[in-house]
Amino acid sequence: MKIVIFLESYNGKLVKAAKEAISVADKIDSGAEKIGVLLGTDLDSIANDLKNYGLKEVYKGEGGEYATYHSSIYAKAIKSVDADYYVIPGTVWGREIGPRLTVMLDSSFAGDVTEVLDSTKFVRSIHGNKVLSTVEVSGQTVVTVRPGVFDLPSETPSEYELKTLEGHKEDHDENVSLVEVLAAESGKIELTEADIIVSGGRGVKGPENFHLIEELAGLLGAAVGASRAVVDAGWRPHSEQVGQTGKFVSPKLYMAVGISGAIQHLAGMSTSDIIVAINKDEEAPIFKVSDYGIVGDLFVVVPKLMEKIKEVKNQ
Amino acid sequence: MKIVVLLKAVPDTETRFKIREDETDVVYDDSIEWIASPYDEYGLEAGIQFKEKLDGTELTILTLGKGNESQVIRKALAMGADKASLINNEDLASSDPLGVAKVLAKELEELKPDLIIAGRLATDSSDSFVGPALAEIMKYSLVSEVSTIENFDESHLVVLRDATGRKEKFEVKLPALITTDKGLNEPRYPKLPDIMKAKRKPLDEKDLAELSAISGVANRKVKQVKVAFPPKKQGGEIFTGDLDEAVDKLVKALHDKEKVF
Ligand SMILES: Cc1cc2nc3c(=O)[nH]c(=O)nc-3n(C[C@H](O)[C@H](O)[C@H](O)COP(=O)(O)OP(=O)(O)OC[C@H]3O[C@@H](n4cnc5c(N)ncnc54)[C@H](O)[C@@H]3O)c2cc1C
Ligand SMILES: Nc1ncnc2c1ncn2[C@@H]1O[C@H](COP(=O)(O)O)[C@@H](O)[C@H]1O
Repeated sequence: MKIVIFLESYNGKLVKAAKEAISVADKIDSGAEKIGVLLGTDLDSIANDLKNYGLKEVYKGEGGEYATYHSSIYAKAIKSVDADYYVIPGTVWGREIGPRLTVMLDSSFAGDVTEVLDSTKFVRSIHGNKVLSTVEVSGQTVVTVRPGVFDLPSETPSEYELKTLEGHKEDHDENVSLVEVLAAESGKIELTEADIIVSGGRGVKGPENFHLIEELAGLLGAAVGASRAVVDAGWRPHSEQVGQTGKFVSPKLYMAVGISGAIQHLAGMSTSDIIVAINKDEEAPIFKVSDYGIVGDLFVVVPKLMEKIKEVKNQ
Repeated sequence: MKIVVLLKAVPDTETRFKIREDETDVVYDDSIEWIASPYDEYGLEAGIQFKEKLDGTELTILTLGKGNESQVIRKALAMGADKASLINNEDLASSDPLGVAKVLAKELEELKPDLIIAGRLATDSSDSFVGPALAEIMKYSLVSEVSTIENFDESHLVVLRDATGRKEKFEVKLPALITTDKGLNEPRYPKLPDIMKAKRKPLDEKDLAELSAISGVANRKVKQVKVAFPPKKQGGEIFTGDLDEAVDKLVKALHDKEKVF
């Protein structure tokens, strides 16, 4: 069996979701030939990095038509490598590439998978994470992988054959172009890549109090998240919203501070490994999905918590 | 200019589902309230805003459904769409993601819109598939998960989207397909007179049964074989009472037992 993995990279680094995709390929068939496709610019350092994951071949498409991301050109490049399965990180790029590939191949598609049962059965969540659905695929299959769910692949030094993907000038397409990338704030941890997330809700009472959430997050090396109530109120940017109409996250630790735990919020975070809630209302639904909780006023609890964490960290 | 907004009817986000006895799907009964998938409402609002700025724009809604859609479509017409096209065919609507895209493409090829707007995902099946797949089938330019429309006219759009923390800005010429993300706009509520007027707007209903029989557009490669509820968290430890003690216990648990820091 042959499995192609799209090794998504950005700024000369493999994205975490791409490594997770390698794990998924191993789960589909641990004996399969794994073939990577690497596209973009400045790929040399990545090519080196890749010597740990048991890949048999890596197809590299560098510069030219591949220099900047283009969903159709990238999908074509991946399709040009023949395989039984195509495993694509479920990032914003992968969510464009996966469906395009499926159409090109007229194949099966399993989207946003969170578990691999065997080579034809995948688990994904539907109805806002309220229900788990097992789908069975047949024939050639494209899989997109929900980021942050699978472990990183184990690393053992291995050699692979490096091949070059030629760009096709005729594919050049001026009808859609990525004209600018506005960088993330430096030092800011992206929600869907974070191991720890601290989220604030309406209980925080105003944007002026969010420094509490930011400080706690800073202390834990965590990303900051938010409920929809505070995003709609304009206290926090849309990009921080967790939930059914926000981001789906699955960190090792999710702390919900002053968040009631509405079903649409739970939809985005209930798959986290450990959930901690701080809420003054004992009856708040968030406690029903929590591993740990403190019933109390967050304005008292959070400062105490930070003090205690500092103390433990300094030991 | 012609715009088509794809609109899927989905169970209300508050729905508490039951699982069918054979465990292959949830129960869809009368207790479920059907709403427009939230991302499709952003698409509809975006379409209405285009129409308000660009004279002569015609806004059509396209739905592939199983018979639960009429209210959702009426509401969309009341919000400001000009007309609706409903493919009412349970069999086609239950195709796999590629099948759904193929059926919708058949209809879109007839409608020939300059701009197609779909949701980033349907909140029921959550495939994040149909929009980009349609762009591929129809050879339209694609930008998905748009959260800001910076500029638009009859021939092009400038849009922004979130991409793992950074933002990507695209310029795209029509014909194009975009999918919507949260933050794009605030969908309006229909006003009473508009609700009345909407009753007279055209709703073209067809079932395409013939089509599926003839050309086999529907796909059945991917089958849902089982559904289940996610495992429940067992016995969380909720600390009440003295807050110093509670904080101590929590930090101890996170540090010593869970080893998260
Ligand atoms: C279609 C649809 C989609 C939606 N999508 C999302 C989504 O993606 N994400 C999302 O989050 N929501 C979503 N919602 C909204 C959701 O239903 C809730 O309204 C929202 O999550 C509530 O946010 P909250 O918990 O911050 O506020 P509230 O529900 O108001 O809760 C505030 C909590 O703070 C507690 N509190 C107050 N003061 C203190 C204090 N001093 N100390 C400690 N605790 C305190 C209160 O006890 C309360 O539990 C959606 C809704 C709909 C209809
Ligand atoms: N049956 C349908 N009828 C109309 N539009 C649909 C249908 N299914 C999906 N779509 C559109 O495609 C988007 C993504 O759906 P999905 O790929 O199922 O997550 C939705 O938000 C709709 O805009």
